[in-house]
Amino acid sequence: MDELEAIKVTFFQECEELLADLEGGLLAMQDGNDDGDTVNAVFRAVHSIKGGAGAFGLEPLVRFAHVFETLLDALRSNEIPGTPDLTALLLRASDVLADHVSAARGLGVVDMDASAAMAAELKIATDPNAAPAPAAAAPAEEAAAPAPAYVDAAAPIVIGAPQSDIGDGLDDDDLGFDFQPMTITLDAQAADAAVLDGNVWTVSIRPKSDLYRKANETALLLRELSRLGPIQAALDDSAMPALEFLDPEAAYVTWSVRVETDQGEEAIREVFEFVDGDCDLEIVRGEAPVADVLATLLDVAAPAPEPVLEAAPLEIVAEAPVAEIVVEAPVEAPAPVVEAAAPAPAPVSAPAPATPPVAANAPAAAAKPAQIDVPGPGQSVIRVDPERIDRLIDLVGELVINQAMLAQRVGEYGIAPSSNLAMGLDELEQLTREIQDSVMAIRAQPVKSVFQRMPRLVREVANMTGKQARLVMDGENTEVDKTVIERLADPITHMLRNAIDHGLESPEERKAAGKNPEGVVRLAALHRSGRIVIEVQDDGKGINRERVHSIAVKKGLISPDLQLTDEEIDNLIFLPGFSTADKISDVSGRGVGMDVVKRSVQALGGRISIASRPGQGSTFTLSLPLTLAVLDGMVVDVAGETLVIPLACIVESLRPKAEEIRPLGPVGSVLAVRDSFVPLIDVGLTLNYREHSPAATEGVVLLVEGEDGSRAALVADAIHGQRQVVIKSLEQNYQQVEGVAAATILGDGRVALILDVDAVINLRRREPPRPADPTLIAAE
Amino acid sequence: MSTAIALPETLDLKASGPLKQAFVERRGQDIEIHADQVRRLGGLCLQVLLAARKAWAEDGKPFSITAPSEAFVETIRLFGAEGALLQTELQGAAS
Repeated sequence: MDELEAIKVTFFQECEELLADLEGGLLAMQDGNDDGDTVNAVFRAVHSIKGGAGAFGLEPLVRFAHVFETLLDALRSNEIPGTPDLTALLLRASDVLADHVSAARGLGVVDMDASAAMAAELKIATDPNAAPAPAAAAPAEEAAAPAPAYVDAAAPIVIGAPQSDIGDGLDDDDLGFDFQPMTITLDAQAADAAVLDGNVWTVSIRPKSDLYRKANETALLLRELSRLGPIQAALDDSAMPALEFLDPEAAYVTWSVRVETDQGEEAIREVFEFVDGDCDLEIVRGEAPVADVLATLLDVAAPAPEPVLEAAPLEIVAEAPVAEIVVEAPVEAPAPVVEAAAPAPAPVSAPAPATPPVAANAPAAAAKPAQIDVPGPGQSVIRVDPERIDRLIDLVGELVINQAMLAQRVGEYGIAPSSNLAMGLDELEQLTREIQDSVMAIRAQPVKSVFQRMPRLVREVANMTGKQARLVMDGENTEVDKTVIERLADPITHMLRNAIDHGLESPEERKAAGKNPEGVVRLAALHRSGRIVIEVQDDGKGINRERVHSIAVKKGLISPDLQLTDEEIDNLIFLPGFSTADKISDVSGRGVGMDVVKRSVQALGGRISIASRPGQGSTFTLSLPLTLAVLDGMVVDVAGETLVIPLACIVESLRPKAEEIRPLGPVGSVLAVRDSFVPLIDVGLTLNYREHSPAATEGVVLLVEGEDGSRAALVADAIHGQRQVVIKSLEQNYQQVEGVAAATILGDGRVALILDVDAVINLRRREPPRPADPTLIAAE
Repeated sequence: MSTAIALPETLDLKASGPLKQAFVERRGQDIEIHADQVRRLGGLCLQVLLAARKAWAEDGKPFSITAPSEAFVETIRLFGAEGALLQTELQGAAS
């Protein structure tokens, strides 16, 4: 059961990708790219989901997918014309399909009425003349079909009726794999079965060295095999050593041969009669259940199952002696699954126990060799338990720390930098760094996985609020550490909701303002100076500063006579307990304010800012570190404490001369750097390490740049040098400390705090008297 | 520097050792393999050819199989090794 469960997990992972493909294709169609390829891709995505779901007996999913698929099939064969209304319907159907997948996975439930209504709509869209559904209640919202159809409806809807029962039984299906005959999908499954005909065999040949020593020959075996019917051999030379280490008389290469023959297994086995014992052999008929499922899942593009079929048995063959194979291999099992169309429920219980441990390994094993001769998306992907990678990253982090400690110890002995030992250490450092980069690259993922959930969100929010919104996405392939990605979804979701609910105007208001009634929300990701930046931009009305200010005053968040800049007013919306909506709407006002977004972003070491222009819209900018694991930093001394300043923030370091320092106000001072002035900030003072700052000329100044581009000169006592440090979260281990981003462990084993440069600049700004605003000073 | 190997008629168990040796000795040079005489190609020699192909690819040196006999081509196809060996041959023939 566990093995089947493992395949099921893979299936659902694939489903996610397929659903994303589906949605991507539909959105492309919405944008007018409804060429045959796109429609085909959309059809294949639904078809693949249906196929996989059928193998697992996930009936409600299969049924819905089938209706959906039928419509798409009609569309791709030009039986019905593609219209914007139809695309909109398909998009909503894709949302329902996604719900079915989630439900099958045990995450949430499907609104069966809505599903039945949608199925009815799809049916009508497929064939407006067919006896339509009586489910007049729900579908009325969609204009995809002629209105009278609903009224005239008399025949019970095929899809809708049984589904409520199935909805109840879903959990049983899900847990017990109670395979049931699938009447609805009969024709489609039958079509599949025709492709997966029983005349195809997969023969895995693994010659032993003895085979050649006894003057037998693989070529002869293959030739004999080809007499039975057309063959297609795929060789696997992955076990073959490099030329110089190759034993010319040892067997390394193995083959997986697809044979199309109307003769039986006996005939195939006979070919190998003379090499019995000198050759590991496995013969699998047609499409094994595992292979079948995977064929559907792994290779969306290729309807033919060859690639997986050929590849899958390789793994199986390794240990199994010829005699046992037939028993162990999933040869017998396929029937119930592959031929699920067959109404006979007899073999129902067979598949799960009959599938040997092979199944668990099969996905990975199957995926690799398949790429030899069959093109297709996503085949060279290895799925790895993220925990293993996390563990690896932890270990590499420890390695970095250890390497630093080692370097420091060696340094204490005063060994010359040109000595072998020191050079060896340098090499070790480089290697460590390379390992670290490589390991981090494994965990880097495009933000696509988060972005792809957003189109649906935008549709739903727009529907709920009565706005018209179009989402434009940019930079979906921007890569960022997986740990960051996982935590991006919530802030993005909220910012998008906010942009539509509060940002965009209603279509009427937009028309009145001379705008397109459809608002545009832009979601973009990009890399900027070692961080990932997420922007959510709307072309709505912008922030109503007067209202924001008055609300903040009314709620006692600020004092009424406080003079604030536009930017400062905009930022008031991040204050806890601030909500500008006149009424609490369904969408944004769920008690989760922008302050929560801000806090969750800050917990990630990120920042959020807002820029707004009245009448033109607002832009929320989220900036996050690319990784939460390591950081290049400058190690400095401040008031006897060791601190790390992120290198990404540092522009330059310098020793200031007395004449470059000018006092400003009662306590502040600025530093002249070339032709501008920047505020001088004593880190020790700001973090309360000391009461009085020493003369800046005695220390070192680090010119840093904040996220918003503002510069400041941080004063430290001494610089120790650059180092790569492993980030240890303060929030997780202690709590958030203002001005401190995280902590790290230094080479000597001591803990050092990593400075949050922006926070330090802002801390300084907030102090009375009013901050040394760089622009003001520059104007001086 | 370039060099050539003429493959014998029969590439069986006995031929694989010498074939490997021939390749090892010529490592690092551009190589042209004459396969016009080949009437039999066995699995062991196929392995040597595949390994040599990889080694030459790693070195970034040209590796071409010229004027392959029909039997050679047919057996390579039977082995499913056309991707690794015949393409190269075609490239070699074209240049």
